[in-house]
Amino acid sequence: MTYHHSMRLLLVEDELEIQGFLKQSLSDAGYKVDSARDGKTALQFAAGKRYDVLVVDLGLPDQDGIDLILQLRRSGVSSPVLILSARRSVDDRVKGLEQGGDDYLTKPFALAELLARLRNLLRRNLAASEDATRLRVLDLELDFIKRRASRAGEVLNLSPQEFVLLEYLCRHAGRVVTRSMLLSEVWGTRIQPDTNVVDVHIYRLRGKVDTEGREPLIKTLRGIGYVLKDG
Amino acid sequence: MSSKTANPVMHSAAWRISLWATLAFAIGTMIAFAMLHRFVANDIQRRSDAWLSGEVEVLGDVAARTPKDRLYGRVVGEVAELASKEVPNKLRSDGDANDSVFFLQVGDDGALKLWVGAGDGTPNLAAIRESKVIPDVPYDLRVKGFKKPFRVVSLRIEDGSHIYLGLSERDEMRVLKSLRVRLLSLWALIVLFGFAIVFYATRRMLGYVREITEAASRIGQSDLSTRVPTNKRNDEIGHLALTLNRMLDRIESSVHQLHTITDSLAHDLRSPLTAIRGKLEIALSSDVKVEQSEPIGSAIDELDRLTEFLNSSLDVAEAKADALKLSRTEVDLDHLVRSMIDLYEPCMSDKGLRVQMHSAGSLTVLADAALLHRVIANLLDNELKHLPASCNVWINLGTSGNTATLTVEDDGPGFAPEIVSHMFEQRVKGIDSKGHGLGLAFVEAVVRAHGGSVTGSNRPGGGAQLSIHWPREQPKKVVTPHSFALVNR
Repeated sequence: MTYHHSMRLLLVEDELEIQGFLKQSLSDAGYKVDSARDGKTALQFAAGKRYDVLVVDLGLPDQDGIDLILQLRRSGVSSPVLILSARRSVDDRVKGLEQGGDDYLTKPFALAELLARLRNLLRRNLAASEDATRLRVLDLELDFIKRRASRAGEVLNLSPQEFVLLEYLCRHAGRVVTRSMLLSEVWGTRIQPDTNVVDVHIYRLRGKVDTEGREPLIKTLRGIGYVLKDG
Repeated sequence: MSSKTANPVMHSAAWRISLWATLAFAIGTMIAFAMLHRFVANDIQRRSDAWLSGEVEVLGDVAARTPKDRLYGRVVGEVAELASKEVPNKLRSDGDANDSVFFLQVGDDGALKLWVGAGDGTPNLAAIRESKVIPDVPYDLRVKGFKKPFRVVSLRIEDGSHIYLGLSERDEMRVLKSLRVRLLSLWALIVLFGFAIVFYATRRMLGYVREITEAASRIGQSDLSTRVPTNKRNDEIGHLALTLNRMLDRIESSVHQLHTITDSLAHDLRSPLTAIRGKLEIALSSDVKVEQSEPIGSAIDELDRLTEFLNSSLDVAEAKADALKLSRTEVDLDHLVRSMIDLYEPCMSDKGLRVQMHSAGSLTVLADAALLHRVIANLLDNELKHLPASCNVWINLGTSGNTATLTVEDDGPGFAPEIVSHMFEQRVKGIDSKGHGLGLAFVEAVVRAHGGSVTGSNRPGGGAQLSIHWPREQPKKVVTPHSFALVNR
């Protein structure tokens, strides 16, 4: 993940426990992270440096996260913001989005999802797919015009839904996708099912993609999600 | 008048109050007018009687003093004629003919001696003879040929003859009749006017009550922050509005308090959950052995379940307290249910369950899309968890009137008998159930928050049946398009 080396990220989170592991995993993912525990420090950081992306918790000790975002916007910070919220009502989320935040995550969240959303905000993940009508991952090839997938030249017999699922995995090849990411991106819903509905879809897809004698591409990471190998 | 075409005004309380008030008012004024009429009638009678007594005395005097010569008849006749011109309440309607007064003198022998008046006096004399005469006291006399009775006074003069002076009650009655007509029309006018005033006033008063009712029902449906209108006056209705508003203040503050409690509870639990989950994830992604990664992964799964349980608990608590925040948008139930079935179908068929959906096509309701997703997911999760292999699930979507009905049926073991009557309560679950007992409570709470209802029962042929009845208002205008956009991001 070398392309992140220049990405500067400002993390505004007052809980040290959360700040600690976030900083660690964001650094592991290649971001240069500055962290602030309150709005005042965050404003000082933002005044001194230019950040590519900000991660802001809504419950700060000295001010409301939304007020902080508004203040940052007024002072000329136009970088995308990922809001972390421990509140659960939709109103707050919508309010956050309306007031200049670009995406939100409700605590607790999966790190993989945080990273995916950051990539989304930075438009990195779309680079390969912007104008493509075809997508290749190893020997897997997706044709978006014919809505057809093939592996090593052999057409896979996928349902439309399985095609969308495989497409999403391919677009995030090499990165972890979580169940809730799949649910919201492929099925358009933010539910958290009690049952293993998503897993069954993946098993079925895997049965068609990773047939016997071929190298398995779709890997399950227990407790985290799935990843499609890209090399 | 049928109830359908009847003016709604006639069914209003203002109308009934006005009718009763007017009835009481009409009876009261009628009694007052009747007494007035009686008083006037007595007064007129008294005046006529006074006049009659006075005149008959004068005439008796004249008759006694006038010598009984040839001129006697003319002199007494002139005087009587003159007196008749001064009749009280006289109306000159029927020309000059004097039919309102008669003078009659009867001798000892009972023969007619002198007659002044209309006609020849025979019927009058006959009538006098038939009636019992009380001297000096006026009495009523009915005479053949006259429609109206006469008031008659008699006097015995010294020569033994009787003189009678009669005054027709025609004029008196005419006066009284015109008085009655006037009083009646005045009464009708007063009653009508009174009705109009009472109706206007009560309608105005009750108009405030109606405004308060409408505002209160609006508040009940949606926004707790608005208040019923208060008028400035310090009357009962003003008090009603103030009391309602004070009550709303209290309800709003309790709801606000509930939000604060649930929010802070959520916050206090979420922060450690986030930290734990994050650390577990980092531990998992660093190079650990397979046998170590398994328990960490399952710990994360358990954490996610705990989070979901926390969310549902708070949602159910808020929904039960009618404090669930809804952002309603137009949602196509048919499309939503189909996409959820698409999501669940592989999992179900893996378990050997068959799902069939029957629907008449697109069916739009006004609902919180995110919550509705979770309602359907809960129902399908429920089927997945409780049905043994090779069962059928039938999902029916239809409308009747203003209600959309979603029915989920299966041919499994059905609800355990001990929970059928209270399956929508929190923590209620069958003995064998692996869930946390929130699924159906959540479904019911959300549907009720939207103004719908859920019924659950066991089918006669075996298996469970759940029906959701969803109100279909005419979509006004969508409130927040954002929440739906979020779901589809």
